Amino acid sequence: MRRRTLALIALLAPALLVAAPAGAEAGAPRPYSSSVSVPDLLADPSAYSGATVVVRGELVGDFGRRPDGTVWTQLNGDSYAEAPLLAGGRLTGPNRGIGVRFAADLWPGFDRPGGYRLRGPLVEVTGIWRYHDAARTGESYLDATGVRLLAEPVVLEEPMRSTPLVLGLGLLGAAAAVGLATRRRRDT
Amino acid sequence: MLIRPDAEDLRVISYYLGRVLLVTAAFVTLPLTWALIGREWAPAASFVLTAGAFALVGALAAARRPAEPRLDWSHGMVVVALTWLVVPALGSLPLALSGHFADPLDAYFDAMSGLTSTGATLIGDLDHLAPSVNFWRHLLHFMGGQGIVLAAVSVFAGGVGLSLFYGEGREERFLPSVRATGRFIWWAAVVHLLFGVALLGSVAYFTLGFTPARSLFHGLLIFFSSFDTGGFTPQSTSVGYYHSALFEAATMVFMLAGAMSFGLHYALWRGRRRLQSLRDLETRSLAVTLALTMGLLMVGLVSLGLYRSTGSLARQGLFHAVSAHTSSGFTTVPSTEMREWGGLAFAGVALAMFIGGMASSTAGGLKAIRVGLVARVLKDQVKRVLLPERAVISHVYQQGGRQRLTPQAAQAALLVALLFVALCLLGTVVALGYGYPLQEALFESVSASANGGLSVGIYSPDMPVLLQVTYILQMWLGRLEFVAVFALIGFIVTAVRGR
Repeated sequence: MRRRTLALIALLAPALLVAAPAGAEAGAPRPYSSSVSVPDLLADPSAYSGATVVVRGELVGDFGRRPDGTVWTQLNGDSYAEAPLLAGGRLTGPNRGIGVRFAADLWPGFDRPGGYRLRGPLVEVTGIWRYHDAARTGESYLDATGVRLLAEPVVLEEPMRSTPLVLGLGLLGAAAAVGLATRRRRDT
Repeated sequence: MLIRPDAEDLRVISYYLGRVLLVTAAFVTLPLTWALIGREWAPAASFVLTAGAFALVGALAAARRPAEPRLDWSHGMVVVALTWLVVPALGSLPLALSGHFADPLDAYFDAMSGLTSTGATLIGDLDHLAPSVNFWRHLLHFMGGQGIVLAAVSVFAGGVGLSLFYGEGREERFLPSVRATGRFIWWAAVVHLLFGVALLGSVAYFTLGFTPARSLFHGLLIFFSSFDTGGFTPQSTSVGYYHSALFEAATMVFMLAGAMSFGLHYALWRGRRRLQSLRDLETRSLAVTLALTMGLLMVGLVSLGLYRSTGSLARQGLFHAVSAHTSSGFTTVPSTEMREWGGLAFAGVALAMFIGGMASSTAGGLKAIRVGLVARVLKDQVKRVLLPERAVISHVYQQGGRQRLTPQAAQAALLVALLFVALCLLGTVVALGYGYPLQEALFESVSASANGGLSVGIYSPDMPVLLQVTYILQMWLGRLEFVAVFALIGFIVTAVRGR
C-alpha cells in the first residue's frame, strides 16, 4: 500500500513542481482595453488576461451575496440577452456567459436576475478579466470596477398553450378508459 | 433455423413495456406538480400531454395480459432496449414544446442524454428555461441513473425482474431477490437525495448567498446530476457557475458516490466486509485509474501552461478528473477552452471518460471491473511468458470474496472492451467524415459512448443529422452495454426472417 502511495506521489510530483514556480508569473493588470463581446472573450480568454474590458449583457441566474460582501452573478452576452425566446428571440444555440464579481460598494442593488419569464437587467460592466486567477485557484471571471444599467428588467408573458392541455387530458381519459376496460375484461 | 416470435412473445414484451411506461407516467406527475405550484401554465400543459402519452401507450401495451406472465431472458432484454428508446421519445415532448430546441430530434437527443445520464445538451437559452422543465431534464438523469426499469421491477413481483435487471447494465445482485436489490438501490438513492439536497443547498445558501428557494433548487438539481453521474446543470455555465471550491467539493462527493457500485454501498452501509470491499479488484482498479488519469491531466495542464499555481492546478485537475472518470461531465471551463486541452490533458480526460465508474453504479464507461480484469489477464499472460513452464500461476482475485478468473469471465471482459472501442471508433469515423479534427471527433465520440457528456463543441444544434443520430445510438448502446440492444436486433431479425 505504502509503495503505491509513493508511486502516486512520484507521478504527481513533477506536475506540481513545474506548476509551483509558474505561479510567480501572474502579472499585473494590463492597460485599458476596449469593449469586447462575451463570445469574443470566451473565444480567446487568455488574450484579455489582466486587461480592463467593457462587456455588455444580461445579468442572469442568481445574485449571490456572499459572506465577504461580494456579489456574484452571471453576465450573458448572447442574442437571448437582447431578445429571450419568450420575447420573440430566435434560437441561436447555447447561452454565452461569464461570471462577474461585484464588490459590496459597487453593487447597484438589482433585485431580480434574468430567468424564466424575466429578461434580467441589461448592463455594461467594466472590469478586469481575471483569467485562471491564482488567488481563486484557477477560476476565470470579470472583476467589476464599474457598472451601468442599460435597460431595466422586463417581465415576459408566456401564453398558455391549450392544444397540448386538451390533447393531454384526452389521452389521459383514453388511458383511463383502456385501463377500466382491461380490468373489466379480466374480472369477467 | 430461426424461430419467428409468436403472438405470445409479443404479448409478453408489450405487457411489461406497458407496465414500465405506466410507472414513467407516474414520474411525470412530479414536474407537473412543480409547474402547477410555480404557475408555469404552458409547461404544465406539456406535462399533462406527456403524462397522457405515457399513460395511453402504457395502458394499450399492457392491455392484454400474457397467458404466462413470466419473462424469459430474451424478452426482458428486448423490453429494456425498447424502454430506453420509447421513454426518451415520449419524455422529449416537454422539451420539444418548450421552444428551446430547434427540432424534435434535438429534444430527443437531450432526452436520451438525460435518461442515459450522459449530460450532453443541445438546448438553447437554458438560462431562461422554465424551472419545471429544467427539473424534468434532471429527473431524467435520476430515472435513468437509478434505472427506470429497475423502478418497475421493484413494483412488480420479484420473479420477473432478473433479465430486466441485467438488461439495464447491472451485473450485481447483492440481495437474494432482484426486487429486494432494486428496493435497496432506490432506498439508497432517497437517503442520498435527502443528504445531498441538504448539503448542496446549505453550501448554496450559506456560502454562495443564494435565496432559500434557489438554494433548494440548485441543491436538488445538482444532486440529481452528480449522484446519477449525469452532467446537466441548471445554468448554462455548468458547475463553473458557482465559482466555489466548496460547492465543487460537495459535488465531487456525490459524483464519487454515484460511481460506486450499489453492492459497495450495501457493504459499506451494512458494515459487512467494509475493509474487504476496499481491497476488491474493482475498487483498486478505480483508485489506480483515477490516480493515473488525474496525473496525466495535471501534467498535461502544466505542459500547456494554463494554470499558474499549484492550488489552481490541483483544484481544476482534480475536479475534471473526477468529473470525467465518474462520467458526470461537469466542467468549470467553457467548451471553447476545453478544445485547447491537447496532448496529455486530452488523453487524461478522454481515458478517464472511457474507463468510467464501477459496474452496477449510475456511471457509464467501460467500467473499472472490466479494466481490472483485462489488466489481470494481461498480467497473467506476461507471467506465463516470463516464468518457467512448470510455474503455477494463480488466477484468484478479490471481488466480493475470492474469485477465480475463468476463461469465460476474461473473454466476456475482453469482448465488451473490444465492443466499446468499436463503438467509440464508430462516432469518431462519422465525425471525421464530416471534416471534424481527429482529436475533437474522438473526444465527443468517447464522451457519447461512455455517457460522459463533456464536450469540445461538436455537440451543437448545427451538427449533421447523421452524426447526431450516431451519438444518440452511442449513448443508448453505451448505457445498456450492448446485450439488450443485441437481443432487440436478434428479435427483429427472427421476426423478419424466422419461420
